[in-house]
Amino acid sequence: MAEPNFVKTICGYCGTGCGLVLEVQDNKIVKIRGDKEAPVNKGQTCVKGAFAFEYVHANTRLTSPLLKKAGKLVEATWEEAYQFIASRLTEIKSTWGPNAISMFACARSTNESNFVTQKFMRTVIGSNNIDGCNRT
Amino acid sequence: MLLMGSNTTEAHPIIANRMKKAVKSGLKIIVIDPRKIDMVKVAHRHLQINVGTDIALINAFIRVILQEGLFNKPFIEKVTLDFDKLKEQVEPFTPEYAAAITGVPAEDIVATAREYAASSGSMIAYTLGITEHHCGVNNVFDIANLALLTGNIGKPGSGIMPLRGQNNVQGAGDMGCLPNQLAGAMSLTNDEFRARYEKEWNVTLNPIAGDTQTRTFDRIETGDLKALYIIGENPLLADVHMNHTRTIFGELDLLVVQDIFLTETAKVADVVLPARSWGEVEGTYTNTDRRIQRVRKAVEPHPNTKEDWEILCELSSLMGYPMQYRNSEEIWDEVRRLAWEMYGGISYDRLDNEYSIHYPCPDENHPGTFIMHERFHQEEQTKKAPFVPVDYTEPMELPDKDYPFILTTGRRYESYNTHTQTRHYAAGVKIKQKEETIDIHPDDAQHLGITNGEVVQVRSRRGELRVKAKVTEQVVPGLVFMSFHWHETPTNVLTLNEYDPISGTAEYKACAVTIEKLAN
Repeated sequence: MAEPNFVKTICGYCGTGCGLVLEVQDNKIVKIRGDKEAPVNKGQTCVKGAFAFEYVHANTRLTSPLLKKAGKLVEATWEEAYQFIASRLTEIKSTWGPNAISMFACARSTNESNFVTQKFMRTVIGSNNIDGCNRT
Repeated sequence: MLLMGSNTTEAHPIIANRMKKAVKSGLKIIVIDPRKIDMVKVAHRHLQINVGTDIALINAFIRVILQEGLFNKPFIEKVTLDFDKLKEQVEPFTPEYAAAITGVPAEDIVATAREYAASSGSMIAYTLGITEHHCGVNNVFDIANLALLTGNIGKPGSGIMPLRGQNNVQGAGDMGCLPNQLAGAMSLTNDEFRARYEKEWNVTLNPIAGDTQTRTFDRIETGDLKALYIIGENPLLADVHMNHTRTIFGELDLLVVQDIFLTETAKVADVVLPARSWGEVEGTYTNTDRRIQRVRKAVEPHPNTKEDWEILCELSSLMGYPMQYRNSEEIWDEVRRLAWEMYGGISYDRLDNEYSIHYPCPDENHPGTFIMHERFHQEEQTKKAPFVPVDYTEPMELPDKDYPFILTTGRRYESYNTHTQTRHYAAGVKIKQKEETIDIHPDDAQHLGITNGEVVQVRSRRGELRVKAKVTEQVVPGLVFMSFHWHETPTNVLTLNEYDPISGTAEYKACAVTIEKLAN
C-alpha cells in the first residue's frame, strides 16, 4: 500500500466554506479531517464534511456519455455526444433563435467552471438565459 | 442576533458551533422560527412565529423602535431615503395586531425590538425560512429596513448575514451565471461593462436580460423554450410541484444533463455527459461571506470523465467559437482581468499563502474587504440607501377543512439536498435519519390516532405520498415538516408552484396538506 498523501481543500457541501485536509491513499480519499489553519472552521467539521465523501468513488458514477436511442439511454463516445449536442443546438438556434435555449449552471462547481459556463451561453449561443439554484 | 428562518445546527453546523461559542462570550440569540429547532437551546428567547408571517413581526419591531425613539436618527438622516414612507407603512402594526397574526406574544415583540435596537451591535442571520416564500424578497427588504433604522450595518458586530446553502452558490452567481449580470456582479444592461467583455471575448453580447429558472419552466410550458442544458442540478426532485416538472420536461426538443450520477433529471435527458466531482478538480469557491478559497484535486478521476469547463470549451470550439484554457488558473486570471474591481488582487499564489481573501479586492496590495458597506459610517454619502416599506401578505395556500395542516419543508443534518452524494457515507458512520418522515406534534398525532413510526398518507391539491410519521414537539399543532432528500419520498409532489414575483423563488415553506391514517 502506498504512503498516504495529504491534500488541502475546501468542503463541497454547504456555503460555510470549511477547510479540510484529505488523506489520500492509492488514489482514494480514505479520511478527512478539519484543517486547523482554516479561518472558517479552525479544525472543526460536521458529519457531512468529514464522512460523506464515498460518492467520489461510488461505482454508480457516470463514466461514459449516454445518448437516448429508441427511448433508452445507451453508452456513446464523447465525439458522438458532442456532435449530437452541437448539431441539435445549432439547429434549434437557427430555427427558433437563441432565446429558445436555456442553461442551468451548477452551484456546486468551481468559480472557473461557472465562468466558462456563462461565457459559453453568452458567446456561442448568444443568450442570457442562464441561471442557477439561487432561487431554490 | 436575530436568527430568522435558519435551522443552523442542521444546515450550517459549523456556523452554529461558532454562534454557540459566541453565546458563551455574551451574544444573545433570539430565534425566530416556527419550529423548536436545536438553536432554541442556546437562545435568549424563541419567537415561535406562524409560518410566513415575518413581515408582520418585523413591521411591529420597526413600529416599537419608532414609538420609543430607539432609532438611529443621525444615521437615518445621513444615509437613508424614504423614512416617512416607512413610518406610514408600519403604523397599523401594533404589537397586539402583530401578535394576532404571528402567534408571538405582544410583550415578546416589544422586548425583542428594544433589545435589537439598544444593543451596541445587532446582527440578523437568515436562511431559506426567509426567502422561500411568495413574499421572500419583501421579507429581505424588511430585514434591511430594520438594520438601516438602527444603523446596524457596515460596522463590526452588525449587519445582515444570509447563510448560503451550497459551497459555491455565491460564486456561481458572482461569475455571471445569472440572467442579468456578467462576472463581478456587473449589470448586463450597462453598456460600459458589456463593452469590456465584448472586447475581451471578441463578440457582440445580447444586451437583454435572460430568463430565470422559474421563467424557463413557464416558457417550456408555452412551447417557446426548446432546449435546456443542465449542469449538476436535479430540478426534477428539488423543484416544487414535481409531477408538473416531469410533464414539462417531456415537452423539450433537447434536454442535456451534465452530472456525476444518473439523477432523476438525467434519466429523462436526451444526452448525459459524465462530469468530474469535488476532489477531482482544481479551482476556487466563494463562501457565504465572500471568501475566495482554493479547491484542490486530490484523486485522479476516471479517464472517460471531463471537467465542466473542459466539456464546454470543447463543445464551444465545435460550434465555431474556439475556447481554450490550459488550466483553471488561466480561467481565473481572465476573471481577474475582466472583473478587476472585485478579484484583481486575488491570485492563486496569494490564496496559497493567505488561505482566503474576501472580495472586493482590486489589486495585489489590497487586503480584501472583510466588512461591506463601511462607507455608511464614513465620509459624506454619495449614494443613499432607501427604505423599502413592505406590507404583510398571508401564505398563498392556507389550511382549510379539506387540507387542515400547513406543511413546511427544509433540510436534515446528515443529508444534502437531493441526497445523490450523501447516500454514500464512509463505512461505519452511524446515521440517525435514514429515510423521510413527516414530523408531527404529539397532539395532532393523538387526534389522528397515529403512533411514532406509523406510515401515513399525505395529500395536497397537487399530489400525494406515503411516509412514516415522526411524533415530535419540534413542530407546533397544525404544522408538519418534511425534507426533500429522498427520491423514495418525493416531498415536492406536494408543494405549491407559487413564486415570489421578483426573485422567482418558490413557496417551499408553506402549503396545505391533509394526513390520513391508513386502514389496517
